Amino acid sequence: MEEELLEEILASYRGDRGELVPILQEVQDNLGYLPEKSMVDIAKFIGVPESHVYSVASFYAQFRLLPLGRKRIAVCRGTACHIRGAPQILNRIEKTIGLKEGETSDDLEYTLETVACFGCCALAPCIRVNMDVVGEMTSEKVDELFPPVIEGVKNDQ
Amino acid sequence: MTNEQKSILVGLGTCGISVGAEKVFSSLEKEVSNLNLTENIHVKRTGCQGFCQQEPIVVIEPEGFFYTKVNPDDAVEIAHSILLGGKPLERLFYREPITGKPIPHYRDIPFYSKQERILLKNCGKIDPEDIDDYLTVGGYQALRKALLEMTPEEIILEVKGSGLRGLGGAGFPTGLKWEACRRTTCEEKYVICNADEGDPGAFQDRSVMEGNPHSVLEGMIIAGYATGARNGLIYVRAEYPLAVKRLKIAIEQARQNRFLGGHILGSEVDFDIEIFQGAGAFVCGESTALVRSIEGKRGRPKPMPRARTTEIGLWNRPTLLNNVKSFANIPLIISNGSEWFAQKGTEKSKGTAIFSLTGKVVNCGLIEVPMGINLRKIIYDIGGGIPGGKALKAVQTGGPSGGCIPADMIDTPVDFDSLTKIGSIMGSGGMVVMDEDTCMVDVARYFLDFTRRESCGQCVPCRLGTKQMFEILDDITKGEGRPEDMDLLIELGEAIRRSSICGLGRTAPNPVLTTLRYFRDEYEAHIYEKRCPSGVCRVRKGSD
Amino acid sequence: MEKISIKINDQDIMAHKGATILETALANKIYIPHLCYHPDLKPAGSCRVCLVELDDGKLVTSCRTPVKEEMVIKTKSAELDKVRRPIIEMIIANHHMDCKNCAKKGRCELQRIMGYMKIDKKRIQQNLRFPKEELPLDDSNPFFIRDHNKCVLCGICVRTCQEIQKVSAIDFAGRGYSTKIATLGDKPIAQSRCESCGECVVRCPVGALVPKNLRRPSHEVKTICPYCGVGCSIVLGIRDNVVVNVRGDADSSVNSGRLCVKGRFGLSFVNSQDRLTSPLIRISSNKNSSLVTRHPSLFREVSWDEALDLVASKLKNYRGDEFALIASTKCTNEESYIAQKFARVVMGTNNIDSSVRLCDAPSITALLKTNGINALTNSISEIENAASILIVGANITQSHPVIGLRVKKAVENGAILIVVSPIEIDLCGFAKVWLRPYPGTDLALFMGMCKAILDGELHDNAFIQEKCENFEDFKNSLDDFPSGKVERITGVSRDKVASAAKIFATNKPSAILWSSGLTQYSHGTDNVLGLINLSMLTGNITKPSYGINPLMDHNNSQGVCDMGCLPDFYPGYQAVDQPEMRKRFKSIWGKDLNPNPGLTLTGILQDTLEGKIKAFYIMGSDPVSNIAGSHKVKEALKKAEFIIFQDIFLNDTAQFADVILPAASFAEKDGTFTNTETRVQIINKAMEPIGNSRPDWEIICNLAERMGSRGFDFNNPEDIMSEIASVTPIYRNISYNSLRKGSLKWSDLAETSLTGQNGKYKFTPLQYRPPAEVPDVDYPLILIAERDIYSDGILSQKVDGLKALRAKRLVYINPKDATDFEIKNGEVVRVISRWGEIEGQAVVTTASPPGLVTMYLLEKEINQLINPSPDPAAKTLETKICAVRIVPQKES
Ligand SMILES: Nc1nc2c(c(=O)[nH]1)N[C@H]1C(S)=C(S)[C@@H](COP(=O)(O)OP(=O)(O)OC[C@H]3O[C@@H](n4cnc5c(=O)[nH]c(N)nc54)[C@H](O)[C@@H]3O)O[C@H]1N2
Ligand SMILES: Nc1nc2c(c(=O)[nH]1)N[C@H]1C(S)=C(S)[C@@H](COP(=O)(O)OP(=O)(O)OC[C@H]3O[C@@H](n4cnc5c(=O)[nH]c(N)nc54)[C@H](O)[C@@H]3O)O[C@H]1N2
Ligand SMILES: Cc1cc2nc3c(=O)[nH]c(=O)nc-3n(C[C@H](O)[C@H](O)[C@H](O)COP(=O)(O)O)c2cc1C
Ligand code: SF4
Ligand code: SF4
Ligand code: SF4
Ligand code: SF4
Ligand code: SF4
Ligand code: FES
Ligand code: FES
Ligand SMILES: [Mo]
Repeated sequence: MEEELLEEILASYRGDRGELVPILQEVQDNLGYLPEKSMVDIAKFIGVPESHVYSVASFYAQFRLLPLGRKRIAVCRGTACHIRGAPQILNRIEKTIGLKEGETSDDLEYTLETVACFGCCALAPCIRVNMDVVGEMTSEKVDELFPPVIEGVKNDQ
Repeated sequence: MTNEQKSILVGLGTCGISVGAEKVFSSLEKEVSNLNLTENIHVKRTGCQGFCQQEPIVVIEPEGFFYTKVNPDDAVEIAHSILLGGKPLERLFYREPITGKPIPHYRDIPFYSKQERILLKNCGKIDPEDIDDYLTVGGYQALRKALLEMTPEEIILEVKGSGLRGLGGAGFPTGLKWEACRRTTCEEKYVICNADEGDPGAFQDRSVMEGNPHSVLEGMIIAGYATGARNGLIYVRAEYPLAVKRLKIAIEQARQNRFLGGHILGSEVDFDIEIFQGAGAFVCGESTALVRSIEGKRGRPKPMPRARTTEIGLWNRPTLLNNVKSFANIPLIISNGSEWFAQKGTEKSKGTAIFSLTGKVVNCGLIEVPMGINLRKIIYDIGGGIPGGKALKAVQTGGPSGGCIPADMIDTPVDFDSLTKIGSIMGSGGMVVMDEDTCMVDVARYFLDFTRRESCGQCVPCRLGTKQMFEILDDITKGEGRPEDMDLLIELGEAIRRSSICGLGRTAPNPVLTTLRYFRDEYEAHIYEKRCPSGVCRVRKGSD
Repeated sequence: MEKISIKINDQDIMAHKGATILETALANKIYIPHLCYHPDLKPAGSCRVCLVELDDGKLVTSCRTPVKEEMVIKTKSAELDKVRRPIIEMIIANHHMDCKNCAKKGRCELQRIMGYMKIDKKRIQQNLRFPKEELPLDDSNPFFIRDHNKCVLCGICVRTCQEIQKVSAIDFAGRGYSTKIATLGDKPIAQSRCESCGECVVRCPVGALVPKNLRRPSHEVKTICPYCGVGCSIVLGIRDNVVVNVRGDADSSVNSGRLCVKGRFGLSFVNSQDRLTSPLIRISSNKNSSLVTRHPSLFREVSWDEALDLVASKLKNYRGDEFALIASTKCTNEESYIAQKFARVVMGTNNIDSSVRLCDAPSITALLKTNGINALTNSISEIENAASILIVGANITQSHPVIGLRVKKAVENGAILIVVSPIEIDLCGFAKVWLRPYPGTDLALFMGMCKAILDGELHDNAFIQEKCENFEDFKNSLDDFPSGKVERITGVSRDKVASAAKIFATNKPSAILWSSGLTQYSHGTDNVLGLINLSMLTGNITKPSYGINPLMDHNNSQGVCDMGCLPDFYPGYQAVDQPEMRKRFKSIWGKDLNPNPGLTLTGILQDTLEGKIKAFYIMGSDPVSNIAGSHKVKEALKKAEFIIFQDIFLNDTAQFADVILPAASFAEKDGTFTNTETRVQIINKAMEPIGNSRPDWEIICNLAERMGSRGFDFNNPEDIMSEIASVTPIYRNISYNSLRKGSLKWSDLAETSLTGQNGKYKFTPLQYRPPAEVPDVDYPLILIAERDIYSDGILSQKVDGLKALRAKRLVYINPKDATDFEIKNGEVVRVISRWGEIEGQAVVTTASPPGLVTMYLLEKEINQLINPSPDPAAKTLETKICAVRIVPQKES
């Protein structure tokens, strides 16, 4: 299935070098991460070495080389958030879900990551759960807000 | 029932949405339709109102009532209040923080009244997803004028005359850049809008794109005509999905209205714009790294000596690269004339500056002020001072490339040159206010943590230097610093500053060097007394 | 070149305009610290340690900044030191500093910088922070170690692999402080596309990439790689009579210092425990026993005298056509010359051939027919300047890797590459056009292209009129190749044929390269003739970078033919059946010569089987493993009465030997090899022969003398070369004196014109014949055997590292066929032909088109699958393909 999806995605591109990043983005959007096989195929498709695709994929923060959890929690580590207590928020979340920054739970339920800045700095500190940014976090709010946020995501799916 | 047309504006920028503005918007729509008022009341989506902290914000026009922190449940009441002859809902008014006095109109709120909103004027007023709204406020008039009444040379003269300096950080005169690009003979040229906005703590480019995307497009099209480029590209960072969505809609609508594509407005000019989404790398804001990243490569800046991007840029073609706000200023300059623009600001920094005012300040949000205004006015008059009666300690501008300006220097005017003089920079407009509870060593450590991650890793001084400085600072915050470390940081900082390839490395030591310069006592407390004066760091007492 | 004057450290210097400051300084013996600069590569400007100070106080990186008139440069100053010292100190702090135990010590750029800058390590120790964890070593490659802890991320390895090797197995990965050099997925290098060429290893400035088991040589000797026909020039490093190191010879026009894995890391076979060290005589009559040949119950060690006396006395009984000699593509020209002279003069027979018969003979036959001489028409280095390159039936990056580099370089220089191959090979990735004909149908493809060129009037009429003959006949024969028919025969669409023809005809000069994918068919000679027709039609011949270039197989395949180890030619392609030639050789060799052309390798085996040939001299060759239809070869050898086996190792053929003579390897003797471009190159003795082994020429000369023949009393190979030059017109100008000054390409020197007898190239009208081997219902698939860069005969098997790296026994099969035959990726399958079967692991891939399966040609068992038909002209066997069926192993 992955293979067909990949083929389908590639079919909508010309195979130019400049399409590398957009292709990686689309593949990741669809597969959740960039399986090694997909990088090999993409390399071939646009005519660059495999190591180059890996090199590019590993350069950009957006790309994931391992499968991600269904719920991706990203904590902002931007300046405004840092000043207003993001480290404590991160700490609290790490405790709550039992993962460290950059980790994914074995059951692929959660991934916890940090992100440079969402651009919602006025509402610092912020976190993002999947696509939704949640502003004005407090340590207390993590406990109180967290389960419902996660529940909400579950219901959406 | 009155026949008067009313609008309910709901701020639907990323910031508003993150605190539930979408729900507010839909319940307002629902309520208005329940009341069969859709004819008379227009519930309108707008971009960021600027006062992000008070989101969700709802503005009632034409009266200009300004409701803050609106709940979806408030929708019924808001709709009814308008129905009932426009009697405003006082409980949702913004309140003067100290006196608690409600202020009904946004024009009376100090946060707004002390600003000079030119560029942001229509952000938060118009529907960013509706080109007609932009047209009714005079949108694309500048393009019409430029294309039909002016030669490229005249446009460039106008831009040069305005004194506009690039708002992406470096402050390079925009007109000169355009001229250089115009002069190249290559058939194929590119105009790129730098919307990477990587400074953590800055979001003004996002707000412009979300709130008034057409102003950016209009500036770019004029640039295309002026430089002779036919291809435009907006490089937006990955974390800005809403900006991408609105830009896409705007591009589509502009095409339909023949502002983009072939024979724009019936002229001989062709220009089109595509969007390229960055993939998360701060360094890609640097022009050559940005170009490489579009070319499908690692975003590694090119070392000197190298050709200028205006000569050899994307796909080795001449390329004009400007910041979002630089482009958004262009229609204003063309419509109002360079003199109008040049009147604003200072001798060497013209026009206005936009800042993302955040951190320990009462009013957080997006502000636009004339160049040359001092920090005090920004923090106290617009920002409303420091919350909780705490003392101001420092202001950080310019993000990881900038520096920390101590409280006793807040009368420094805010312009390119003055900030550079005191060790910081304008940068792309992040302004983070720090109070007495902020540890400056921790702040320095924080920035070096950022740059060591975001360094492209290409050159030794930046790759190893940011790592080395981070580790030293980390040791200091843990109480494991050594007295020699302070001099060492300065020594390393100087070497990194002078030998790194690009601006990232060359400016990475700034946060350390400025905090060492202005807050040395805090370092000393950590090192000698194993104590964090602000109580932020977990200093390990007794260890060394 | 224009010169400009600059000042470095108050010294006035004339610099080349366009040079960088660093290049200028180094050329003038002024050292500037540097890490990421390498003269072979584009400057990266990333390490920042090469900073210099200009007179305006600016610091610039000297490796990227060009010199300018009147420039004043300081390479040392207090300002510079302030910036440069912390950079170096941070590198050192981040580096696993262990010079004492480091393989790079003494030749390390970082060490050199430390010395130059007088770095105070104690200060670093006290001040700077050190990495908290150590990264694991990557020792997956048998030949070198990657140590991230010593890597300074100069990127030289990455750029080498990109710019020189063009493999790009590695690149930078991650960013910021966690940047590292990585393969795809950061897996061990052995699991990547790395070809183990070692080019990166020799360039790494520090100890991050170092050869394993490094020993420093006590002396170095220049010689030639003994593997493939490229003939790379190498410098052997010797210590205690052991080859401990190999370097590429940067001055060589063949390889410019480059080497493939076999040349760089594959020469330890010289000191293999398995080397033959003593003559052996059979004591048991039990041939073809499963016992190891070395077993004492089969053979006993004897002295040279005893062995040679036995051979001499035996051979006296088989004079004339009862004797045959199989010469070696591995031995020197001098040894090959002696071998054929022995057969012709001492034994009185022309039954001399070599394994050239198995692949290159159709090329030789065709070239002699059209050009009158067996030589390619380009030099290896010219390939880089071609406007287009046509590669047919050659997997060059595996089989002639260093020529492969030239092809890639040419593409980088803008050449258009056209690849003709049914299988996807590495070079397809560099090709503008990849034509994928059904196996064995190339002739139709070439004729179709010729027709398209003529129809489009893209041919070179002037050249044809002036330089060629037989054009009308040829033109008429094209009527037989209408585009529809060509499409049907080859499976290549007519549009593609036409567009390839157009590209080929309009991008000149074009270099044409081919090898066994074209020749190992029962119509191999016609295939080559078709390709030559195509080249003549467009005038792509005999001008620089225009040309037809068969890639000869081994280090001395060209030489062994030049030397007359051919049944129908004396040295220099002088026909045996021409009385005046025979007379000449008789007068020089002083003996009546057999007037009848001898038998080819295939004929020899047939006659042996029929009992007509009774005695055999096998010199550096392994017919039992290498000739397809091995069962027949074994039968024949079993039948022979007396077999002399002269080799450096015991191979599978040795078990049929009566006498085994241990030869000295290339490293242990003097001589010359002639590479595929007819370049005659000296090999120099670098060490003493192992055990009691002796150079082949010495053995045969000694034997000839024991048999009472004169004319074998040579003192050294140099003397032999004088005789060669005197009897061989194409070698007339070759002498050791001239070769010592530099190698010579005889096709450049020979007075013989490269064109046929009457000075013209001859067009050949041709008809298409399908391959002899055809699939049917029972054997519906075609098996093609491919070469693998890591394996080449027994020599590579004696190198543990090559053995570890060599391709596994894999069966590549198209997804469609896999579905049809119910085969899953990774499962073990049986490949069954009409004659035998072999096992392998299935790899489902589109690299093989439907209907085709591929395996690596490293398993000698493959030769049991085939019962090949010979090409009527060259007698080369159709070994390239074989009809098979594939079944999952579990169905057995
Ligand atoms: N590493 C290594 N190098 C070697 C050798 C070795 O054993 N190992 N051996 C040496 C020897 S003896 C020789 S002869 C050379 C051989 O050198 P090559 O001929 O380059 O080696 P092969 O792998 O046999 O490649 C033949 C190519 O032709 C393709 N082919 C097969 N059938 C057809 C066909 O009908 N038409 C076309 N157009 N292509 C076809 C095959 O798919 C394959 O890619 O290599 C020499 N170099
Ligand atoms: N399975 C399989 N079959 C093949 C091939 C294949 O790659 N795989 N390739 C085919 C082709 S195209 C060819 S050309 C033939 C090649 O067939 P061969 O010419 O038989 O090649 P090798 O097996 O390399 O045998 C060379 C022999 O020379 C010996 N030798 C090396 N140096 C010296 C020396 O200095 N003196 C002496 N006296 N001996 C030396 C080696 O030990 C080795 O035994 O094989 C053909 N058959
Ligand atoms: C590390 C680094 C990051 C940068 N990031 C940005 C950015 O996010 N947005 C931006 O407009 N300019 C950024 N710049 C500046 C650009 O290189 C360039 O000067 C600018 O986009 C030009 O536009 P302007 O002339 O309109 O300012 C960055 C520069 C550096 C060195
Ligand atoms: S200074 Fe930093 S970001 Fe810039 S090129 Fe060097 S390593 Fe990369
Ligand atoms: S790489 Fe160089 S500096 Fe490092 S341990 Fe080895 S010899 Fe010493
Ligand atoms: S392995 Fe060697 S050549 Fe490669 S980057 Fe590291 S130090 Fe440089
Ligand atoms: S050994 Fe050769 S192929 Fe392998 S990584 Fe180094 S340069 Fe590349
Ligand atoms: S290309 Fe051939 S001659 Fe050159 S090193 Fe490799 S095997 Fe030896
Ligand atoms: S700093 Fe956290 S959203 Fe910008
Ligand atoms: S040698 Fe010049 S920057 Fe590395
Ligand atoms: Mo061969």
